[in-house]
Amino acid sequence: MKKNSLINYLDKGDSYDEFYGDSLTVRKHAQKALNYLSPLSLEDLQDINLATVSAIQSMGITFRVYQDESNANVNRTWPLDFIPRLIKKEEWKLVEKGLIQRVKALNLFIEDCYNKKKFLNEFNIDESLVLNTSAYKAYCKNIKLKHGVWSHICGSDLIKGEEGDFYVLEDNLRVPSGVSYMLENRMVMKRVLPDLFNKYGVNPVDDYPSKLYETLASVSFSKSKHPEIVLLTPGIYNSAYFEHSYLAQQMGIDLVEGSDLEVGKDSYVYKKTIEGLKRVDVIYRRIDDDFLDPDVGNPNSTIGVRGLLKSWSQKKVAIINAPGCGIADDKAVYAYVPKMIDFYLKEKPILKNIKTYFMNNKEHREFVEKNIHSMVIKPVAESGGYGIVIGKDLKAKEVGPVFRKIRNNPRNFVAQPYISLSTSPTFSDGKIEPRHLDLRPFILSGSKNYVTVGGLTRVALKKGSSIVNSSQGGGSKDTWIID
Amino acid sequence: MLSRDAEHLYWLARYIERAENTGRLINVNVEMMLDYPIDDSLGWEPILEAMDSKEDYLSGHKHYDEANVIHYLSRERNNENSIASCLHNASYNSEFIKDDLPRSAMEELNNIEMNFLKEMTTSVSKRKRAKNIYEVISSSQRFFGIISDNFSRGYAFEFLRLGRFVERADMITRIIDSICNAEKKEGTIDLSTLEWVNLLKTLSAHQAFRKVSRGEIEKESVINFLFKDDSFPRSIYRCLTIIHKSFLNLPKNKDALLFIQKFLANLSRSRIGKYENTKIHSFVDSTQKKISSIDQIIQKSYFNN
Repeated sequence: MKKNSLINYLDKGDSYDEFYGDSLTVRKHAQKALNYLSPLSLEDLQDINLATVSAIQSMGITFRVYQDESNANVNRTWPLDFIPRLIKKEEWKLVEKGLIQRVKALNLFIEDCYNKKKFLNEFNIDESLVLNTSAYKAYCKNIKLKHGVWSHICGSDLIKGEEGDFYVLEDNLRVPSGVSYMLENRMVMKRVLPDLFNKYGVNPVDDYPSKLYETLASVSFSKSKHPEIVLLTPGIYNSAYFEHSYLAQQMGIDLVEGSDLEVGKDSYVYKKTIEGLKRVDVIYRRIDDDFLDPDVGNPNSTIGVRGLLKSWSQKKVAIINAPGCGIADDKAVYAYVPKMIDFYLKEKPILKNIKTYFMNNKEHREFVEKNIHSMVIKPVAESGGYGIVIGKDLKAKEVGPVFRKIRNNPRNFVAQPYISLSTSPTFSDGKIEPRHLDLRPFILSGSKNYVTVGGLTRVALKKGSSIVNSSQGGGSKDTWIID
Repeated sequence: MLSRDAEHLYWLARYIERAENTGRLINVNVEMMLDYPIDDSLGWEPILEAMDSKEDYLSGHKHYDEANVIHYLSRERNNENSIASCLHNASYNSEFIKDDLPRSAMEELNNIEMNFLKEMTTSVSKRKRAKNIYEVISSSQRFFGIISDNFSRGYAFEFLRLGRFVERADMITRIIDSICNAEKKEGTIDLSTLEWVNLLKTLSAHQAFRKVSRGEIEKESVINFLFKDDSFPRSIYRCLTIIHKSFLNLPKNKDALLFIQKFLANLSRSRIGKYENTKIHSFVDSTQKKISSIDQIIQKSYFNN
């Protein structure tokens, strides 16, 4: 077949590419997609791209970006690359199992930390690893939750390393976002590339809202068959408001703000409706722990509900995810996940963890300092890619200051070997070129467990870049789990 | 339904209806001025007065010249009742509830705001200005058309309908008032026929009026029609009947139903067509107060828990 000059894969680099293997042999599962793309002219590709953008605009899929200078924020059109990311079903089945196993262990760990601390004692781990973090909430002590679940909705970030195996990069256990974009990406792709769709048996993703609803309903303390569930949002100026509104609508539940709720004298939570006050059984909250209740967290919070946490600790309302569940998504705790799986479940971990070095351990630190050029240094309590130092990008004179900062507060940093993210063909600047990507599946835990079929694939649109965050110029792809 | 959602729906409808009616008022007045050989100030002052905006306008302007008044009424963002402000407020309220409304209705709303705000200068030609305002009117009608065609009947629908007809009833009284104010100022010259025809046109009521009243168009029959006709949806009586209907489908409606029944009875009994202008003015005033009482009943019953 004639090679299309628009597919520019000559400088593929050392990363694992999900369409092309060594010496540019096409991977079997990617053949049909490439057969479809290869004969297309630049005009064709631009047409598809334009159709994608206009479908997204007319469906009103946006995300909000905070702008520093004007202090205003704007809605931007959601960026989607029309070339799907392909993952074989048999590969995905294993990932799915691995994720469920992992989240089970993490939930057991959280409840254990707030109760007997068996894990920390067993391995002689300094309690401060958990207790001295801002994520630890003393008011959760001795609390046990229904099904033992604290993080009912977890978004784990997966990457594919140089050999093509999935690694877990981090687990977002607090208020992970992005799932609505996974669902909307699929809607757009069905409109834009129906013919390519037909060539693959693409597994559907759209049962997520009903699974989420089931999960929320399954943790209600009320005996009612149809518990009253609400989604609590910080409001329209929040960057994820689109998602809050979308999910509430998809599940047919009320989207409430803090001011729509109040805690009654009986300590139950009520929402203000046109018929009067109505009791609420389950709150799917999309605001951070410290803003939930001005009586307990930040006293200036205007987006929370006074008395909410008291109501929660008396089991009069279920809050999802549970307050205090953030103790387990600290990057230092991450290192212990394989041990947790072994300890709580007596199983071998299915998914790979990235080897993690503690900077408060002298031996570890010296090893990292010696091998800094193949390392990544991460602050333990940050998320969203902030504060990360990539060793190979450091100039010689920058190394000293970095380690001075680390030695000043070694508990705040961990290091991991640098792993180059896998790539997949992406339409960019009129060509199809390799771009780095990651994957965020969502794991639901309640009376049952569920993993999204695939997840949200985020892609760095700049050549060579590994920054996939949409706020920093990243894009997305529809993730196809194929038979 | 959440109180806050109900409130957003109510105000969304009010602001769209207000933008539409302000647009009608401007366009018809512009037309009337062309037939009307007097200076600008006499033509535009009564409108500002009827909109309760005279003072606010005078704090920034010295004369009632057409270009400035129209700019003030249509595009001035410091005027909280200008068309631009109404559209802005409508779209703000829609942000909270957009996923509850039909997508096509939301698209219509986005279009009104985008198209209207594109040309924000004072120096737009008269022809363009009229077209621009006409667009707002027809977009508003399309918006409500989509709602009545594609939206399930339920609480959300009723709050949109309440907002729309409370606002409309209020605007009708203001439009009538502007004519009475003009007459009061004019005094000597008899302009009645022209003015009453224009009044009907502002409310798209000319055709409907002709169906029920033949012969000369004069004050008594027009005023009676706009206040008391029970079938034309731009008469106050009809607006109140529709509001009454909406309340029947809502909970906690006792106070509201009672109040509106009295209001309707009072309207039927009145002999407003025969009143002098000053008396019409005070009747309009008390009608406005009653409409605002309906608004307060809505707030109290549904929004403030």
